[in-house]
Amino acid sequence: MVAQQLLNGLFLGAVYALFAVGYTLVFGVLDILNLAHAAIFTAAAFAAFSLAAAGVPLPLAFLIAAVVGGVLGILLDRVAFAPLRRRNAGTLVPLISSIGVAIIIGAVLRGIYGVDELHFVTGGRDAGTTIHLGPVTFTTVELTIFVAAVVLMLALSWVLRSTTLGRSIRAVAQDRIAATLLGVDLERTIAATFFIASSLGGAAGVLTGLEYNSVTLDMGSPIELKGLAIIILGGMGSVTGAVIGGFIIGAVETLAVAFGLSEWRDAITFGVMFIILVARPSGLFGKRALRQA
Amino acid sequence: MNRSSLSTLAFIAIVALATPSFAASKGPAAGKTVHVGVIADVTGGAGVYGTPQKNAYELANDDLKSGKLDAGGANLSFDVQDAASDGAQVVNILQKFMTDGSTAMVLGPTLSGEAFKAYPIAARASYPVMGTSTTAEGVTAIGPSVFRDSLAESQVIPTTVKRTHDKWHYKTAAVIYGDDNAFTKTDGDIFTRELKSAGVDVVDTETFHQKDTDFQPALTRIESKHPDVIAIGALFPEATKIIQQAGKLGIKAHMIGGNGLNAPDMYSVAGPAAQGTVVGAAWYSGAKYPSNLEFVKAYAAKYGKGPDQFAAQSYAAAQIVAYLVAHGSTTKEEMLTGLRNVRVIQTVLGPIGFDSNRDAKSSPVILSIVKDGFSYFH
Amino acid sequence: MHALADFYARHSQLIDQVGINALLALSLSVSLQAGQLALAQAAFMGIAAYVTAILTLTYHWPLIATILVAVLVATLAGAALAYPVRRLRGVFLAIATIGFGEIVRVVANNVSITGGAEGMSGLPQDANTLTIYAALAVVALALFGLSRTKFALAVALVREDEHAARGVGVDVGTVRMLSLALGGAIAGLAGALYAHSSAFITPNDFGFERMEQILVWCVIGGVTSPLGAVLGATFLSVLPELIRFLADYREITNGIILLLVIVFAPGGLASLWRRGPIRVRV
Repeated sequence: MVAQQLLNGLFLGAVYALFAVGYTLVFGVLDILNLAHAAIFTAAAFAAFSLAAAGVPLPLAFLIAAVVGGVLGILLDRVAFAPLRRRNAGTLVPLISSIGVAIIIGAVLRGIYGVDELHFVTGGRDAGTTIHLGPVTFTTVELTIFVAAVVLMLALSWVLRSTTLGRSIRAVAQDRIAATLLGVDLERTIAATFFIASSLGGAAGVLTGLEYNSVTLDMGSPIELKGLAIIILGGMGSVTGAVIGGFIIGAVETLAVAFGLSEWRDAITFGVMFIILVARPSGLFGKRALRQA
Repeated sequence: MNRSSLSTLAFIAIVALATPSFAASKGPAAGKTVHVGVIADVTGGAGVYGTPQKNAYELANDDLKSGKLDAGGANLSFDVQDAASDGAQVVNILQKFMTDGSTAMVLGPTLSGEAFKAYPIAARASYPVMGTSTTAEGVTAIGPSVFRDSLAESQVIPTTVKRTHDKWHYKTAAVIYGDDNAFTKTDGDIFTRELKSAGVDVVDTETFHQKDTDFQPALTRIESKHPDVIAIGALFPEATKIIQQAGKLGIKAHMIGGNGLNAPDMYSVAGPAAQGTVVGAAWYSGAKYPSNLEFVKAYAAKYGKGPDQFAAQSYAAAQIVAYLVAHGSTTKEEMLTGLRNVRVIQTVLGPIGFDSNRDAKSSPVILSIVKDGFSYFH
Repeated sequence: MHALADFYARHSQLIDQVGINALLALSLSVSLQAGQLALAQAAFMGIAAYVTAILTLTYHWPLIATILVAVLVATLAGAALAYPVRRLRGVFLAIATIGFGEIVRVVANNVSITGGAEGMSGLPQDANTLTIYAALAVVALALFGLSRTKFALAVALVREDEHAARGVGVDVGTVRMLSLALGGAIAGLAGALYAHSSAFITPNDFGFERMEQILVWCVIGGVTSPLGAVLGATFLSVLPELIRFLADYREITNGIILLLVIVFAPGGLASLWRRGPIRVRV
């Protein structure tokens, strides 16, 4: 049973990590806590549902939906954050405008799709087959999700480390003014950052929708708060931190249930985060670690 | 004509006059306008429960206009207001209805917690309110003007446990329930209590939160204890996932559940693993009560999918109100008197009345999930 | 006069809600004035509400006594929280305090003395509008008085430049602790009044949703001043009823209004009175 629980934790953690990475990227670069991230997570899942329902094969639907997430991220920045950047408004004000956008996205989704839960596959069939490997059981869908999450995070790491865009992003994260002076196109870099972060968040949404065969208006709210705990745990702005934080929280949650402490699950998650913060006030991998990605 | 044939004639005349006719009959309130308010969470976290309620009342408004629902010639309409799953709004809407001078009664709100916040205000003013989905313990005890047409979990679960135990004679059980929602927690508590008093050994108890999607850790724990039966205290979104994931993990235990599982697409969402799950409910979509099949058809035609229990209990409330109005209740005092004195009303839930606690007096129905929906549990 | 009485009879619940919400917004504003994004007000409110409810329902204490004890407990909670978060700044502090709020909510959900998820019902609803607004007036006056003291100067200095503050001898740790305690006290007062004006409390009344709401009130109203906090709380509390006629479009209108206000007036509604740069940046 322990092996199964650990596997459960691993799968859960992968999706958490993917979601958290988008959160932390935006914070690292712009000092903004984007509370519309969960709404984009949800919107991408709905987009994938519509595409799949229209007959688009799942892998393609996944990619398109992730791109839709990315585009929504760029729009979000244009509407909610860019106007405030010019006014030098601090970190609190953009947080509120992101809440406004999140509400709008939610209202639009409700208008289009209604309040009912939507499903990729009906009849309780799994989109994949079940595999029994010794003491553990999992499905091909879960495996695909895990692999997809890991691949995406590795891809992000590569982009940040080895591409010009990645260097621009890290430069802006370190010192916005210096980066501009060095010739970095600020607005384009920021747009690219939002595209990447939101498409990763959107990807997490599609994968979550596929994993539990459930797309609902409020599918983002449990992960929204946990995402905060994860990025703090890992250290704001640290991609590696977000990944490791995601797996840690996935493990903590699963173990909490395994030890019969399910009611205390959220308290334990935040308790762990709290303790680590008290010991290391900037999280496991520290702030501004985006430089090293 | 001799006396006995005269009385026979009189008897026949009375029966003929008393038989309800399709065209709206002329009751004592004919020609009067009656407003009834409804508080429902159409948007927000509870939107998935409040929207079917709103749908049912809009259907009722249509049926009142066409005469299908008989209000005795009175101009009755339901005014549905969205509380957006916000307790503060529920209270404000109730106060508005109570003081607008024309609303005779209020139906709703959607959640028991909201009822606990709002009903005391109505109770203090002896203003009649009726819940259609507020099934927690103690709701009707708030005051003598608080009624409820939805069977409480405590009225249904004992029957569920008894009937399944009589049939399957199980010895061990596990209970899994939502610990952050009053409804699902009540389910969990009552299931545990009833199972124990039936002599069943509750070998494991697991909890989850609303909106959880991954139940595999909990189900893995349950399976390690090998219970004969798993009792599920959950609402639809979580229930379908629990059942499906249990199937995926190869769990073979019988499953039983409360009102929350009474939704039309249980099988189509949860899949073959749901076959044979027993649900104790307040309403069965296939029950042959006079207005029920017609209601199911009309609702599906208007909204593209069949009604669930939330919709049925709301439509039943509309039928109860229409009955009261047809018998002369137009003001809040008359509504209150009407509710207190009514014996039995025919609704989509079957014949329904109120007991001395103002709770619904109606029989629970024990159902089994099958491929096309539900069937009676035998 | 008759029209006023009529208005009150129709809207007294909303009027009471506005008073309590204004207190909550003020409690956050106090933290923000010190430059601390300490988002624990909903938790302090909850702690006070439960203390009040337990004292009222189980021990039958009188109204004033329950309020005093609840405020004391919430104040101590604020002071105590200051210690583990003393090295945290900015968004780290925000999320740590949100985490504290989650822990409080989960505890309230799982212990029997609070009624758990089923909450506590049957509360007497004996705090009338006068009591609530009297409390609001007292707090407003107290804050006004405080703004004229050296403490207020120290607070502003800590907000603007912590190192400089330390340099001139301000005990930053104590200032932060006192501002958290003060926030706890005011939020506690709001919580106690909430328990006395609401018939029912449940852990979800005091979670992240409520905290987010309070934050939105403060920022929309304007973090530059306590007036802003009150304005924001008032405007956003009555908004759902003002736009009720929009029915299905209420939700999206809410989001659009938030967005429009914040993008065109980042300093909040209060800043519309005074032009000029935003003076408090957090």
